[in-house]
Amino acid sequence: MRYILLTLFSLFILAFPYAQNKSTLSGTITDASSGEAIINAKIYIPSIRQGAVTNTYGFYSLTVESGTHIIEFRSGGMETVVKEFDLSADIIFNIEMANELKDIQEVTVSAKKGENVNSARIGQIDLDVEKIKTLPAFMGEVDIIKAIQLLPGVSSVSEGGQGFYVRGGGPDQNLVLLDEGVVYNAAHLFGFFSVFNVDAIKSVTLIKGGMPANYGGRMSSVLEVHMNEGNNKKFKIKGGIGVISSRLTIEGPLKKDKGSFIVSARRTYIDVIMKAAIPESSPFSGSSYYFYDMNLKLNYKLSEKDKIYLSGYYGKDVFTYANLTDAFTVDMPWGNGIAALRWNHLFSNKLFMNVTSTYSDYQFKFGSEQDEFRFELKSQISDIGGKVDFTYFPNTRHKVKWGVDYIYHTLNPTSVSASSQDIVFDTGEAQKLYSHESSIYVLDEFDLNEKIKLNAGLRYSMYQHVGPFKRYIKGDISNPDSVINYSKGDLIKFYSGLEPRISGRWLLSETSSIKAGYSYNYQYVHLTSLSAVSLPTDVWYPSTDKAKPQKGWQGSLGYFHNFKDDKYETSVEVYYKGMKNLIEYKEGALPGDNINDNTDNILVYGTGQAYGIEFFVKKAYGKLTGWIGYTLAKTERKFPDLNSGNVFPAKYDRRHDLSVVTGYKLNERWTFGAAFIYATGNTLTLPTSWYVQDQNLLFNYGARNSTRMAPYHRLDLSATLYSKAYKVKQDKLTGEPIKVKKRFRSNWSFSVYNVYNRSNPFFMYVDSNGDFLNGDFKITVKQVSLFPIIPSVTWNFEF
Amino acid sequence: MKKLFFLLILLFAITSCTKEVTIDIPGFEEQLVIDGSIETGYPPLVLISRSKDIYSPTNIDAFLASFVSGASVTVGDGTTEVVLDEICTDNLPPGTEALAADLFGISVAELANYHLCAYTTFNTSMWGQVGKTYYLTVNFEGKTYTSMTTIMPATNFDQLYWKPDGSFTDYGYSWATLSDTPGQYDAYKWEVKRINIGLDGQPIDEGFTKTYNPVFDDDFFDGLTFDFFYENPMVWDDPTVPDEYKGYYHLGDSVVVKLSKMDRNVFSFFEKKYIQMSTAGNPFATPTNIPSNIVGGALGVWAGFSTSYDTLYCVP
Repeated sequence: MRYILLTLFSLFILAFPYAQNKSTLSGTITDASSGEAIINAKIYIPSIRQGAVTNTYGFYSLTVESGTHIIEFRSGGMETVVKEFDLSADIIFNIEMANELKDIQEVTVSAKKGENVNSARIGQIDLDVEKIKTLPAFMGEVDIIKAIQLLPGVSSVSEGGQGFYVRGGGPDQNLVLLDEGVVYNAAHLFGFFSVFNVDAIKSVTLIKGGMPANYGGRMSSVLEVHMNEGNNKKFKIKGGIGVISSRLTIEGPLKKDKGSFIVSARRTYIDVIMKAAIPESSPFSGSSYYFYDMNLKLNYKLSEKDKIYLSGYYGKDVFTYANLTDAFTVDMPWGNGIAALRWNHLFSNKLFMNVTSTYSDYQFKFGSEQDEFRFELKSQISDIGGKVDFTYFPNTRHKVKWGVDYIYHTLNPTSVSASSQDIVFDTGEAQKLYSHESSIYVLDEFDLNEKIKLNAGLRYSMYQHVGPFKRYIKGDISNPDSVINYSKGDLIKFYSGLEPRISGRWLLSETSSIKAGYSYNYQYVHLTSLSAVSLPTDVWYPSTDKAKPQKGWQGSLGYFHNFKDDKYETSVEVYYKGMKNLIEYKEGALPGDNINDNTDNILVYGTGQAYGIEFFVKKAYGKLTGWIGYTLAKTERKFPDLNSGNVFPAKYDRRHDLSVVTGYKLNERWTFGAAFIYATGNTLTLPTSWYVQDQNLLFNYGARNSTRMAPYHRLDLSATLYSKAYKVKQDKLTGEPIKVKKRFRSNWSFSVYNVYNRSNPFFMYVDSNGDFLNGDFKITVKQVSLFPIIPSVTWNFEF
Repeated sequence: MKKLFFLLILLFAITSCTKEVTIDIPGFEEQLVIDGSIETGYPPLVLISRSKDIYSPTNIDAFLASFVSGASVTVGDGTTEVVLDEICTDNLPPGTEALAADLFGISVAELANYHLCAYTTFNTSMWGQVGKTYYLTVNFEGKTYTSMTTIMPATNFDQLYWKPDGSFTDYGYSWATLSDTPGQYDAYKWEVKRINIGLDGQPIDEGFTKTYNPVFDDDFFDGLTFDFFYENPMVWDDPTVPDEYKGYYHLGDSVVVKLSKMDRNVFSFFEKKYIQMSTAGNPFATPTNIPSNIVGGALGVWAGFSTSYDTLYCVP
């Protein structure tokens, strides 16, 4: 460890001696049509083969030898700008880039040519939302999480599921950020839709390996989603009307070129359809389901050096069920609320600062009532946090980042109340858990020489579990049960750890490189799941004196090669991941077992490992674009208290995972898309034998996850018909016909999900039917499949 | 929570489809199944069978062939021990035919076709007594299995009552008021039978029937006095009762309620057993294996029960 620190320190020092006889070109890059900051735009000086990219806020800084330089500004879908600069002194150059003269983007993962070979980042993929929109959409709802599930190393939890597994890690090991705010449950409708409304989303980045030091708190991956800022030039409205849901977005300037806003809302109308389908006389007439969500973002440029952003998300799912005959009702709402306030400040043209304060809240409630009986179950997690990040651009060879962050977690994993008439049952006290999570980091992204680029960093994270808290200790025959009471602010447990991160690229040639990455991560909050499929009832649980933080490391190595002027991008990556202190429920645990007890008393702890190889071939541009991703992988768990202490496959262990995604642009009006997925079936635990006790048939379950379901495969197709982008007008001066861009534009998006109507297994169970005495008794294994072929159509508009 | 699971399934049922498949389920290992009980004032009774592969035949012959004979079964109360007698269907003491048929779930006429054995004793010193702990030892095919169970003190109802449900005037659930003993662990089992006289001059229910989930413990209500209800489990399969009246007792019914108490390990077996029966195959629940209180690798339970009986007359 001392060696790592020493190395990092010396590299950090190396960053500074370059500051003589140099000048800095800095500024922001925005979209000319909307004023939106462009993320990851490339600023490049071909003569010295050096460059920079814009950060999340569109800011760039490039320090080079003083002199005259020809500099290129490039970004996917934008007209490249080439300009000569006399850099005898520092220059601030803000540029507005214009859209390329084509309206439909090609389906690609990233438009940045050659980036996959040149970048030092391994296992990182940027997705362009505009391009995701042309992929086939489930029930007409374009979904970024379903799009990332098509990438190698990423798999879905189940049919339609929103949870995703990255390189054998659990679904709670993904840090999902919406404008820096943590999203605890990224799913609507039990996981069939994501909380991200594509009309409000600007960019999506997935980091599945080699996580840089500025991210932490999760072990497997980072999914960073940024919302649109809103058009600061003119008011715009866009929306879509679909089969089960519709959405509307309004954006415009708060003050032209200074600030803007965007408001986006979406709602399903399954409840309206259900209301029409269930007659009022039906005993179920009070049953319904709907979800809605809203995104809001404001930004304002206070000065040339200061800008503030306010982002908010609020979404809710509401499921109600009423059986009037039985006087039985259920009310089940759940949802997230996220807010982030950010302030960008430029101390100089080389030093950028971002201060963020965030609030994130996730709540789930299940209430039911029958006759005089009332039952309510609640679960909640809320975070208040703040962070300060600095980026320093000393020269083109170095980009140094450092920062601190802090989160105050308040978790109420489960609280239950129940009553009958006037009697209130003793369901225990609601157990709230409080903790502080903080960290400090430094990283440097630098070119060691022309061929070797490194991103090295170190993160130190700390965690304090504090009171008030009740520790329940279960006694035995000689010792009765006891409780330790901690008061407010008492320190119950402190954890901390160093998290070294390093990734690098070795350029073999113009078109090929080798990359490697290593990261060590701590995770202080855990998702505990009782069920085989992910549910809103899965609860988050923090580290305590008993539940230790998860920790693990990942090493990855990859070879990247581009062909035909970067038209074809290919890569092969191998990875290994080791994980400790993973959490599962004890065998046979039940919801409610934590009443008058701590949840961590019914949890067990173990280790895991995952390894695999990922192949990726992409055609980046042309009429036909797309990619093929294939992963061969294995992920295992070992818990002393589960499965008799034997190693067992994780429930999402998949040997093979293949996805083929293509897009074809026929002409200016028609675009077609297709996606094919093949994956080894999920594991599950089924009974191996049956027996009889007191004339009841009972089952004995076999080794954990020892049975494997049939493989999953599916083909989806899509077609998008765009309205004519231009109309022909007569030039008033010349009388010549000229093409004028239409203000109102729309498209029809047609999708077919599961084209060949495959019955993919969602889950399996053993069923028994009949009677021994009648001779028709039978035990069978049944497979439940969810979605047959589902066509959908959505009309999208924009003006 | 079960209702939540039910609702989720209902939701998925709208779009889902189910089909029968054959899939490899590895890991079958045959185990002995011991089903033993001892109740206040009754002799111990032990049935022994073998577990079967999930894909094995499920006809009546295969089921009955899973019972074994030739085991050595001993019950002790800590001071004395009694070796239980093996009593088989082809060699029954006179007058016990109906009891034996009921025990195995077959008709009296069929008894002679099978060699089915149970283990019990006529030595009344080893019949169930409140407060005693009973030790079970089974030796079979060279292996020994042991267990213990305690007969807990019984608890009586404060009262049983009936009232019409909702807008009904003639139909309602059975209600009870129970005072749980404070400061101790209590676990209960609820069984019922109607003693109304039928057209044949006999009570309409022959034996006790268990409700949907007949066991509960005092985790939620230690030391509390509270009211609760149970449905009528007998009418679910009765085609003469219209659907809207299923689960209810009819005005005028006379019902004997048997409230049994058991120790924590026995409750744990039954709790998980009924959870498994209601959630088996449910993807939203974890697969529940039923924890046996038998040491030595057998499935099943050795259960001691204390009982109290009360009669409910269904009148407002």
